[in-house]
Amino acid sequence: MLSAINYSSMISFLLDGTVKAVELFFLTIVLSLPLGLLVARLRMIKFKAVQLPVKFYLLIMRGTPLILQLMFFMYFPPLVLGFGVDRFMVAVFSFTINYAAYFAEIFRGGIESIPVGQQEAAYVLGLSQFQTFIRITVPQVVKRIIPTVAGESMTLVKDTALASIIGVTELFRNAGSLKATYSSVIPFAVAGLFYLIMNSVVAAFYSRVEKKLNYYKG
Amino acid sequence: MRLKKGIALILTMLLTGSILMAGCSTATKTTVTTAEPTAAATKTDTTSAVTESTKAAASDDSLAKVKSAGVLVLGLDSAFPPMGFLNDKNEIVGFDIDLAKEVTKRMGVTLKLQPIDWSSNILELNSGNIDCIWNGFSISEERKAEVNFTDAYMQNRQVVIVRGDSNINTLADMAGKTLCLQAGSSAADALASNADFKSSLKEVVELSDNVTAFMELEGKTSDAILMDEIVAAYYITQNAKDYKILDKSLADEQYGVGFRLADQTLRDEVNNQLKAMAADGTLAKISDTWFGKDVTVIK
Repeated sequence: MLSAINYSSMISFLLDGTVKAVELFFLTIVLSLPLGLLVARLRMIKFKAVQLPVKFYLLIMRGTPLILQLMFFMYFPPLVLGFGVDRFMVAVFSFTINYAAYFAEIFRGGIESIPVGQQEAAYVLGLSQFQTFIRITVPQVVKRIIPTVAGESMTLVKDTALASIIGVTELFRNAGSLKATYSSVIPFAVAGLFYLIMNSVVAAFYSRVEKKLNYYKG
Repeated sequence: MRLKKGIALILTMLLTGSILMAGCSTATKTTVTTAEPTAAATKTDTTSAVTESTKAAASDDSLAKVKSAGVLVLGLDSAFPPMGFLNDKNEIVGFDIDLAKEVTKRMGVTLKLQPIDWSSNILELNSGNIDCIWNGFSISEERKAEVNFTDAYMQNRQVVIVRGDSNINTLADMAGKTLCLQAGSSAADALASNADFKSSLKEVVELSDNVTAFMELEGKTSDAILMDEIVAAYYITQNAKDYKILDKSLADEQYGVGFRLADQTLRDEVNNQLKAMAADGTLAKISDTWFGKDVTVIK
């Protein structure tokens, strides 16, 4: 029945949604960061057959709304290709390849900002291309891109709300259902608070990482 | 140089391949709920599937599938009181839910409630994620072309609701006023087919749901709401609001349960169960609990 707000049960329902959002966030970050690094490396290969598909992928992912991508991956497979898909997995998949595209360009920007002289020096010292990349380039890149990656992570926390469009019962959707139950916007205010708390944790985390990496300047 | 390019090329192909594979592998993780998506996709064009029930029955295993899976998946927008919504213990309840629970009990299967985005309801049905749409789903000619409905089980009207203290008493009084409604609902369709009324309004505000519409009315940012009478009456009683419902309705409509066009046997089974419930008085009893009277129309 539409009734006075039962706060404990409202909070518990919103917490369920928060857990879903956090799961979505972690899975996406863990999968999209390495994928983004790989795509960034491929994007820099001077070979048209590799560059063109990668550029196309980057264009599509960054050029179309994430909400549309979610709907596409949810309904295209069953209706056109003929197999069913699990809602949450679709959300993880769609978020991952979308965010990997953004991370790829962030990584590429970071990598290209490293002076080429270092590569030459490494070559002279006998390091292979791979060793140079992993042991010299990447650590510096990580330090440089932390603020941007922090920003993208905070955007991701908020973007988990988009998964509601394919029926994932995350925080935003749960707040919406509660709004109908209690005919009040208070659930949204509380949901907003939960998003803020999640993002404060994310911001604090990256701030610590930055401090830890500050053992050398530049 | 050549070798590196080759490796990069293989990597790219592997990547695209694995993205496609990841898409395919998500399929194996689905639960038992999927029906025949390809069959549904090709048969949605043929509305003759509804009339040629005997021919379809031969190849239509929709009921058998549900029975062997032991589950009927019901798709709903869980923010639509009193048909399907959350109570204060966060359980999905509602008039439609009670009906569905009784029907599935009689069918010998479990009921699984799947919250969906209402604007994608038919999409969810055709992609096999849900077996039926049962959520104050109004029957209309456009929807009949895409959905296989049971017989109507409830009557409903699209009515205009105004504040108790307003001076609006008839549809004519609505001239120059602001009306709000839920986007994509049958209220929107009803307004579209009442062109004169629509053009007399100052503004039409489309909102995501009816609860927001009530907030607009309360906050005086809108003068009236156009929505289902059943839902309005429920909201007004539950919240003891001083709102008026105008006598003249914009459209009369009926609620039905929606199935995929090809799922004739499943639809017939649910329809028969509803009829049995009407005959033995269970339907009236459930209606009484929610509305204080029997609002059902199944014979």
